[in-house]
Amino acid sequence: MSGLGPTYPSEKPEHPYLSISLPGHLLGVYTSRFCAGCGYGIIGHLYNRVFEDEKLDPKLHPMVIGIGCYSQMLLTLHFSSQKILALHGRAPGLATGMKMANPKLKPIIFAGDGDALGIGGNHFIHICRRNLDCVIFVFNNSIYAMTGGQGAPTTLFGATSTTTPYKMFENRIDGVNLALTAGASYVARTTVAHPRTLMKYFKKALKHKGTSVIEVITPCVTYFGRKNLDNLGSEYLDIKGEKMDNAGIMIDWIKRNSVRINQAKFMTEVELFNKYVIGEFRYAPNKPEYSEEYAKIKKIAMEGK
Amino acid sequence: MKSKIIARKLKLNEMKKMNNNNNKRFLTEGKYVMMGNVAMAEGALAAGLEFFGGYPITPSTEVIEHLAKRLPEVGGCCMQMEDELASINAVIGASLVGAKAMTATSGPGISLMTETISMAANLEIPFVFADVMRNGPGTGFVTEPHHNDLGLIRFAGNGEFQVIALAPMNCQELFDLTITAFNFAETYRCPVFIISDAYLGHIHESVNIPSKEEILEKVIVRELPSENTMKFSYKDMNTGKYVIPKPPILGTDHCPIMFLHQPHRPEGMVYRKSLEFTEMLFEKIRTNIDKISLTEEYKLDDAEIIIISYGLPVRASYRAVDFARKEGIKVGIFRLITVWPFPDEKVKEIVKDAKAIIVPELNYTGVIAEQVERVTQLEIPIIRIPKVCELHHPDEILKVIKEVVK
Repeated sequence: MSGLGPTYPSEKPEHPYLSISLPGHLLGVYTSRFCAGCGYGIIGHLYNRVFEDEKLDPKLHPMVIGIGCYSQMLLTLHFSSQKILALHGRAPGLATGMKMANPKLKPIIFAGDGDALGIGGNHFIHICRRNLDCVIFVFNNSIYAMTGGQGAPTTLFGATSTTTPYKMFENRIDGVNLALTAGASYVARTTVAHPRTLMKYFKKALKHKGTSVIEVITPCVTYFGRKNLDNLGSEYLDIKGEKMDNAGIMIDWIKRNSVRINQAKFMTEVELFNKYVIGEFRYAPNKPEYSEEYAKIKKIAMEGK
Repeated sequence: MKSKIIARKLKLNEMKKMNNNNNKRFLTEGKYVMMGNVAMAEGALAAGLEFFGGYPITPSTEVIEHLAKRLPEVGGCCMQMEDELASINAVIGASLVGAKAMTATSGPGISLMTETISMAANLEIPFVFADVMRNGPGTGFVTEPHHNDLGLIRFAGNGEFQVIALAPMNCQELFDLTITAFNFAETYRCPVFIISDAYLGHIHESVNIPSKEEILEKVIVRELPSENTMKFSYKDMNTGKYVIPKPPILGTDHCPIMFLHQPHRPEGMVYRKSLEFTEMLFEKIRTNIDKISLTEEYKLDDAEIIIISYGLPVRASYRAVDFARKEGIKVGIFRLITVWPFPDEKVKEIVKDAKAIIVPELNYTGVIAEQVERVTQLEIPIIRIPKVCELHHPDEILKVIKEVVK
């Protein structure tokens, strides 16, 4: 997100979901605060589309949004969905309180890579461990974009950022593996280059009872793409890369750099280094869910003497 | 889109019914011997507690231990979270969807929680926070009392906002003032603290539990905002008065467009005039200070020496004053039950004719003594009796009184 962004002329564009996004609906402003080539526009659009398709009850699906560029999605998401901006990394904690105080709710958490895997790593682990009924989106753009492109726990090895000006030398964290180990009952990873898959996973997660973690790989052209070459993730091929300074190249890179889970089984560790494995990793619909288990405890306590 | 079913309303009605029918929420009327922390937990239950999120920390652990057993019995939820950060966030989340919520912690816990306290103050989410203080800084002696978090409580978190802090001095008050704290939180929509400490939390004393009807009369039940006030909070533009509507509830129609913890307009949108917003957070307390500031006076009518104190040191002061009065020394006690906001006007009025002020406190710097100095503008000598990790003995206070008389 770059400041307030350029102010394009406020002409009403042709778009089926324009009337349900907040600025378009209420303020008559049709500009976006996202940089050119950002993936969050696509995600916001997909959320609105699922919201309309599934006819979600906004009262039962509160949005808990963390801190990051995606916080600006507040303005583009469906105007009738109820949203709360959480503190940096604390969205899972907030959602736990909501769910336990009113078990009818199913919170939808938007978190970034720094939010869920950096500062809020502990909360992320424990919401997965409890298998609390909610949907967690982890938007992974491998950079701290809102503060200007610092290295994140998910930054790829060898990438350049403002705090790793020579190259990134830390090992990256894998959100999906973390969620699997912690015990989330539905875990998937997809990218914004696969929008239909994202919608499919989201719809599945809405029907699933338990913690659903969906990691979404999104492009950040401004702070990640411009500083890095598109041979990231294919170092073993020893090819000369080019700067990912526009959305097309970046989306191409994401597509090239993501490997289906079925395919990944037959690939070596060297080939999978710096690559994103996409697909559904776990679907365990019968795993006990926290609020339901707690309801049983309540029943025991209330019937006891 | 606007379905007529309000999920939350149903639950609120259920809760009211529960308040009337579920006898487990209220202990049978009578006299009990209780630990301080347990008395606080029972007070919270009587006030309609529905959600408790906490993390064990000495000396507040008995609160979560007791509520883990008692809350499920009354249909509430007690959660032991992974850390203090998560527990306070869960409390805020529960309060957002309309449950009365509280947490209890000690020094190191409150320093972690300040981040979210300031967020809650901005969103004006009501919640109650019990601080069972222990020695510090750092880990300190975990089982010794030390009122060293008072300054931290007053400025809990980044940003400027006003909090309310109540200081009980025995187990009976821990029960009663917890109910008051919940009522303050519901009415004024700001963080409300209960100042307890390691000794007060672990002391066993007799507690008189009033009848269910008596308690229910006092308790303010969380209700949905009335039809026209699906708003955060606002200054009435016509009268200029600060009107505090009922808190909005997520999951109902009575909810702003979005909850942003930024200076916000009544409907929840960002508001650039931050000064007006900050003023609002203070004004809502300042204009109601008569109702908020609770104090107690003891033999103050003709007193020349005044003891100003709060919490446990007051108990030693009562005895010291009785001894001194027998010897003909004119001394009285002005006790602060509400420590924050500090009752400037009341203190000014009380110390008008005083010759000296004695402030026995369970800390070294004298946080309240500083406040008294500010109010009296150093015209009256102020004598501190600092104590850390041990209680004041009445003789010590008496000795200071006698020295002052000389």
